[in-house]
Amino acid sequence: MESSQIICEGLRHILYQSELDCFVTRIETLDDFLEMLNSHPVDILIANPMQFVNREKDIKKLRRSHPHLAIIGIDFGVMKKKLFHLMDAYFSIYDSVQQILEEIEKIEERALSDNNIFPDDDNLTDREIDVLIKLVNGNSNKEIADTLNISIHTVTTHRKNIAVKTGIKSLSGLTIYAISKKIVSIEDLKF
Amino acid sequence: MYYFQKTKVNPNSKMTHLIEENSALLLMMQHFEIDFKVGDLTVSQMCDENQIGVELFITVANLYNGFRPKKVTIFPEQDILQIIRFLKNSHQYYQFYTYPQISTYIHYLQENHPETELVLLENFFDEYFSEVLEHFDYEDNVAFPYFIKLLQGDKDPETEFYSAKEYSDHHTDIELKLKDLKNLLMKYISIEGDLIVRRKLFLELFELEYDLFIHSLIEETILIPLGQSIEKEKHA
Repeated sequence: MESSQIICEGLRHILYQSELDCFVTRIETLDDFLEMLNSHPVDILIANPMQFVNREKDIKKLRRSHPHLAIIGIDFGVMKKKLFHLMDAYFSIYDSVQQILEEIEKIEERALSDNNIFPDDDNLTDREIDVLIKLVNGNSNKEIADTLNISIHTVTTHRKNIAVKTGIKSLSGLTIYAISKKIVSIEDLKF
Repeated sequence: MYYFQKTKVNPNSKMTHLIEENSALLLMMQHFEIDFKVGDLTVSQMCDENQIGVELFITVANLYNGFRPKKVTIFPEQDILQIIRFLKNSHQYYQFYTYPQISTYIHYLQENHPETELVLLENFFDEYFSEVLEHFDYEDNVAFPYFIKLLQGDKDPETEFYSAKEYSDHHTDIELKLKDLKNLLMKYISIEGDLIVRRKLFLELFELEYDLFIHSLIEETILIPLGQSIEKEKHA
């Protein structure tokens, strides 16, 4: 998250030339970032701390809603110390490529040791599997909510998580997923 | 699908350089009905030879190269007719070449491998294909004629209000199921061997995904804003 294109492109170049397994997207403002988070999982945010001025509350909220997100600050040499408390790490724009990568690798290692960092890993929870089975058997959200004794809202949340974790969004696609994972067998399905 | 920025196209860019960098531009040329033997021509020379609006060509080529237009350009009538022909050509290509090709590969895999998922995958694809055809039919026979009518200054109040949202919902669906198909093949369905056929299948799927993505972008950034601006004028 940085408005200078030169800095972003430079950073992108450094990251893609490194051995880090990453995909880089450039975002200009904190608001754009918050919006993007709704549709794209993000592991690490590298930000110009100026973006956080007077936004401490939003950052706190962000930390609560995305506990696995790591934030790295870019030190432009004119930064107020108090903003750095909002970051997990930071590097200076005058650091060498090696130093920058070391900072990012440290954060990445920490992130990997936390479980569940890859939201697209298809480890479904027991509850999500229950919902999936009902879904591929042709039950509606309402029917699923009733039989599992949960709210419709919870059902849609489970469905969303299933789609993100498996990468499969359509119902017929999920059916094939469930069969290939042996969650259901063809014989069990009512067509 | 990752959508990287490549070189920004301008009227003096050499066509050979552009194609070397992004071979997806060949498919764009095919939709524009431009021959691939570009010699030493620049973009503007080639457009002149083929009677294609330079600005239109550059806008579309830049979409292929990862640049969305910063502002809405209202193109002249000639260009819009051209872009509609471009979109129709794309439909024809998907309908009579890409999708049948994908279908052949999937059918081959289904016949030569025992996994029951492949039978389901073939059904999934057949259903998806018929949805796609329905959408193309809607665009070719409802949406595009509507734009052409608008352009020709048809003030017929009977003309149904054209819904940009309906349009983009259709597309999301088409792109979404294609992603499902790719993910099922990459992540979940085990097939032993047959790497050549499977890679060819992936190539088709990736090319189609990329082209469909640009296809929607063209409609969203060129065609729909135009429709909206003419409609606004009419109601003003």
